[in-house]
Amino acid sequence: MKLKKTDFIIVAVVLLLWLLLALVAWINPSQEISLSERRLLQQAPKLEPDSVASGQFMRDFEDYAKDQFPARDTFRSFKAISRYYVLAQADNNDIYIVDGYASKLEFPLKENSVNKAAAKFRAIYEEYIKDTDSKVYLSVIPDKNYYLAEKHGYPAMDYDRLFSLMQEGMDFAEYIDITGELTIEDYYKSDLHWKQENIAAVVDKIAGVLGVSDQLTGNFSDQVHDKVFSGVYAGQSALPLQPDRIVYLTNDATENSIVYNAETELYGPVYDLEKLGGRDPYDVYLSGAVPLLVIENPTAATDRELVIFRDSFASSLAPLLLEGYAKITLIDIRYINSSLIGNYISFSNQDVLFLYNTLILNSSEMLK
Amino acid sequence: MLFSSITFLYYFLPIFLILYFLTPKKGKNLVLMIASLVFYGWGEPVYLLFMLLSVGVHYVLALLIERHQGRKLARFWLVLAVTFSLALLGYFKYADFFIQNFNAVTGMSLPLLKVALPIGISFYTFQIMSYTIDVYRQETPAQRSIIKLTTYVSMFPQLIAGPIVRYVDVAAGLDEREHSFAKVRSGLRRFMVGLAKKVILANSLGELCQVFLKTPDQTVLFHWLYAVAFTLQIYFDFSGYSDMAIGLGRILGFEFLENFNYPFISKSITEFWRRWHISLSSWFRDYLYIPLGGSRVGRGRLVFNILLVWLLTGFWHGAAWNFIVWGLIFAVLLLVEKLWLSSFLEKVPAWIRHVFVLLVVLLSFVVFDAPDLALAGQRIGAMFGAGKLPWADTVTYYYLRSYGLIIVLAAVCSTPLVKMAFEKLRARAWAEKALAVAEPIVSIVFLLVITGYLVDSSFNPFLYFRF
Repeated sequence: MKLKKTDFIIVAVVLLLWLLLALVAWINPSQEISLSERRLLQQAPKLEPDSVASGQFMRDFEDYAKDQFPARDTFRSFKAISRYYVLAQADNNDIYIVDGYASKLEFPLKENSVNKAAAKFRAIYEEYIKDTDSKVYLSVIPDKNYYLAEKHGYPAMDYDRLFSLMQEGMDFAEYIDITGELTIEDYYKSDLHWKQENIAAVVDKIAGVLGVSDQLTGNFSDQVHDKVFSGVYAGQSALPLQPDRIVYLTNDATENSIVYNAETELYGPVYDLEKLGGRDPYDVYLSGAVPLLVIENPTAATDRELVIFRDSFASSLAPLLLEGYAKITLIDIRYINSSLIGNYISFSNQDVLFLYNTLILNSSEMLK
Repeated sequence: MLFSSITFLYYFLPIFLILYFLTPKKGKNLVLMIASLVFYGWGEPVYLLFMLLSVGVHYVLALLIERHQGRKLARFWLVLAVTFSLALLGYFKYADFFIQNFNAVTGMSLPLLKVALPIGISFYTFQIMSYTIDVYRQETPAQRSIIKLTTYVSMFPQLIAGPIVRYVDVAAGLDEREHSFAKVRSGLRRFMVGLAKKVILANSLGELCQVFLKTPDQTVLFHWLYAVAFTLQIYFDFSGYSDMAIGLGRILGFEFLENFNYPFISKSITEFWRRWHISLSSWFRDYLYIPLGGSRVGRGRLVFNILLVWLLTGFWHGAAWNFIVWGLIFAVLLLVEKLWLSSFLEKVPAWIRHVFVLLVVLLSFVVFDAPDLALAGQRIGAMFGAGKLPWADTVTYYYLRSYGLIIVLAAVCSTPLVKMAFEKLRARAWAEKALAVAEPIVSIVFLLVITGYLVDSSFNPFLYFRF
């Protein structure tokens, strides 16, 4: 009798909690996006005869059930903690942590990808720049693994080979090595990007090679956003990471410059403060992912122009070069086909900087 | 539908259990049958028809066999039933294999059929054949209720990845079965253990295998790591599924036979196959090996019997040469053990026999997992230094470090050590109480962590689905 009572209690406790979770899952209102993972979530699929017969409905339903599960981020943390701390796995979703700095495994070096990136940049050079008097520069931004991986026993790509492939493939450009100007402390702990307030040495190095050092005063005011910033690795890893703070640097040039967005055909400021409360606060720098931007600096003491072929790292760097240029054009060929560039810009006597981080070069299929 | 999916755990299973336990005894089989058809149709709605056709054909032919029992006609109906099932299995699973090999031998280029393999066809085909053969052998009467027969074949706990439950083992349960909190508790515990084995251990080991397959710069150590990981993965994947099936069956009042019994502690290949996928090896034993004469035949015939049974066992796992070779490797080893080494092996220290079995099993699963024989040979060669690969590199050490604890945990859990520890604990009065308190807590923690793994998962295959 006593045993029967124990059986009943155990079955009741487990099944009740199970059922409760199921009930919440059934009535939980659908969310559109996952802020932590920065992605759209699967919505309930429509029940249609064709999709049922093909099995598509069932596949979509499982994705929906996973994406819309109640307290999904908490459950993802359960998994992350079990995997990382209990089972002592060295990463979760390929993200590992060293001294509080999260980084995503990126290896091996995909030489084909790097060569394709170099070939793509060469094609741009030959189509638009070769026969002009513009000067071309190349700089490669190391990702966090460059400073963390090998030193702590994590696999990493062959960075020396990547740098040399890029230099060989872009022998028309002057190479600016910035690896010595950065340390791991110059990156966010929870995000892949560098911190704007920590890249003065990089700016000096690039400005020196571009010949605009004299125009840069370096007089910036730190604007510290009051809310913490949980970067992309915090969401992807679901591990408890120390959050960062967004700091953006202002001076007369950044305050007075106007940014033209060729996609929306709208004008805006250098720092889009609305983005601080959005999906990715890093988008505060030049509004995030935009195909083509033109920053005009009316306070510049020069008429020099800079064109940057870039990824998101340049969004926080470009404002720091503003004093040296009357106009900076930023082109992100992940979002605009390079064959269309000629519709927006004509090359003549500009400085042209190809500035890409190693993660993009190792996955260059996204370059159009 | 996968057991290890949110759809199953939080939609299908709760709704089914509520309906099942609210339904009066008389209607439980109907609820189970309908739920099983939904479960199967969820993954492959089109192939539901083939399963129902199979059930219909065997239902009618088993009744005819019973009616013509003792006459030649009964044998004819049996041959017809078995031929039908094997033809269906042959069409879906083996047609392209035979066409490919025919083309290779003749130089012709007959087009491949490229039909998708219905999930679980190998399992339910063997189940329903066992039913009809048992009716022919008069070991069981033919089932007159189409609902009960469909329930038996389609029963979702064991439908798509076994164990291969024989009709005679559940026939009584289909008519009358007991439901109790003790059974539900025991079933829940078993289901949760299986789910944890699958989601936490097998899937993690599977990730390691995927990393190995994607890593271009290989090393000797990484090949060994992969071989160990895959062997453990397939064990925990399949035995985890069997645990879940047995657990669910118990919740519903059925008692399925065990499918695994700690195979990695075996000290001979013969013992290994008494402990690994028991329902398949006993099926082949009872429906092929013994009818062929079993061991009570001349030496030549015994060799033939064993080679045939193991060739077919390998072929059952997949329509590819590596599966056939995998089966034949075991045939040869079993023959060697049976004919020459049985008395010698008894004198060899247990640990040497144990290491030998583990090594053979490890290498056999490298063959099993390889897409072709050439790559299987290459991988095994690499494990022993062929190919001049480096011993190890940063990547290998990283994954060894990252998966080391999981491999150790999996290795320990593949032995009876945990079970023995629990049994010792249970013998003490205080521990019995503590375990009763811990059981729901552990079950709930497992459920929450597994749910976390599932909502954050991208890698969740069931290896035995393809068979």
